[in-house]
Amino acid sequence: MTYAVDFTPVFAAFGALLTGLWLSIRLAALAAAIGGAVALLLAAGKLSGKRTLRAPVDAYVELIRNTPLLVQVFFVFFGLPALGMRLRPDTAALVALTLNAAAYMTEIMRAGIESVSRTQVEAGLALGLHRLQVFRLIVLVPALRAVFPALTSQFNVLLLGTSVVSAISADELTHVGEYIVSLTYRSFEVYVTIGAMYFVASWAFALLFGVFERRLFAYPA
Amino acid sequence: MTFTTSERFPRIPSSRWFAALACASAAIIMLAASVACAQTPAEIKARGKLVVGVMVDVPPYAILNEDNKPDGYDADIAKLLAKRMGVPLDMVVVTGPNRIPYLLTGKVDMLVAVLGIIPERSKLVLFSEPYSGFSQFVWAPKSAKVTGPADLKGMTIGVPRANTADISLSKIVPPGTNILRFDDDASVRQALAAGQVDVVTASTTSIPAMERLTGKGKYERKFDLNTQVEGVAVRPSATELLAWVNEAISAWKADRTIEKINDKWVGAPLPDLKMPTQ
Repeated sequence: MTYAVDFTPVFAAFGALLTGLWLSIRLAALAAAIGGAVALLLAAGKLSGKRTLRAPVDAYVELIRNTPLLVQVFFVFFGLPALGMRLRPDTAALVALTLNAAAYMTEIMRAGIESVSRTQVEAGLALGLHRLQVFRLIVLVPALRAVFPALTSQFNVLLLGTSVVSAISADELTHVGEYIVSLTYRSFEVYVTIGAMYFVASWAFALLFGVFERRLFAYPA
Repeated sequence: MTFTTSERFPRIPSSRWFAALACASAAIIMLAASVACAQTPAEIKARGKLVVGVMVDVPPYAILNEDNKPDGYDADIAKLLAKRMGVPLDMVVVTGPNRIPYLLTGKVDMLVAVLGIIPERSKLVLFSEPYSGFSQFVWAPKSAKVTGPADLKGMTIGVPRANTADISLSKIVPPGTNILRFDDDASVRQALAAGQVDVVTASTTSIPAMERLTGKGKYERKFDLNTQVEGVAVRPSATELLAWVNEAISAWKADRTIEKINDKWVGAPLPDLKMPTQ
């Protein structure tokens, strides 16, 4: 059987695909920013040595890391209304992606914080700094530097993972692509195109983070 | 001794092999021609069986029964066709994407496979008079004042992505209507049950499943979007067979056989079964 490749319907809808990609990027960026901030707090709580802080953080991290993202997305969109919380598809997508990202990033942050030598913390405390000052002035930057590559790859996982939220009708790139497939039956052409768009976006962010890394952490080890 | 010429030995089996291959291909070609490519009622009767492509995953039209045999509205039609022709029935299970190729490559004599009569398909196959059909409509809470597309402004509507209801509805709703497109009917039902959408599109066949989730009597049919009718499909060259099928369907419409089958499987009123104008 011969298949005549025809990209015309895909290019006709390229504007819609770009709008979809823009939503994917916004979802990933917001989920990474909020999730990262939450993760930093959770990791600090987990390493505080207090059982009452550590146990709930552990429970949250294990719950999220041992369930599929799609199930989490369904839970937020279809499940929460039963508890009286009704979120629009893109809000529900953001909530689910943030919850997911925060759990994974908590473990990354924990590893970063633990990589800073214990003696540096003790030195800071000996100089009379408060625990929070020690964390902010001594631990934070080397910790982030140690795990920055892991955080950026987590961002790319998140960016590609936004494709899952098409299942709750959020208009991101995959959802737009699937809609075009349904209308034009050009599945090969559409999936090649959106695959390329994800690749370019993901790669561009990897390069951008590389620049960040050299600027922000350009001090001798 | 006997095998003195070394080049003679390999030649004999290879020529035998070719002969066998030729025989086999001829047999396959003849078999295919005699089994599958029956084009007229007379040829089908002479062969002694009617081969019909049916689906098994479109309830209530096409399902598998407890014995793992195709059953449903379409299977009943197929059985009646074989009975009328006076030959045993051979049902071949086809799927949405492969049903037309099965017909065109001669694997089945005809399709009774929930095949909606639409212009794109009419270019490939010959359709009989419609034997089944269903309507798609807007389904909303009884309290909602919805009499036409203009009333949907400001509401959130759940539809299965790019199905015929989505396409019909998207053309007629006013700007500012929020249409949420889901992967399938099940997700649309979920969204309605969870209150994530106010209104959905539904069809006569999807109401029972919808009411299992939302309870009976809370929602009602507001206005119709379209009616799809299905026909028996035969190959473009099989005009004689098509005439025979049309005659059978007309007879069953006249004596209410079709209506009885519809009552048995669908339980909702049969829409007007007329050939769509193209």
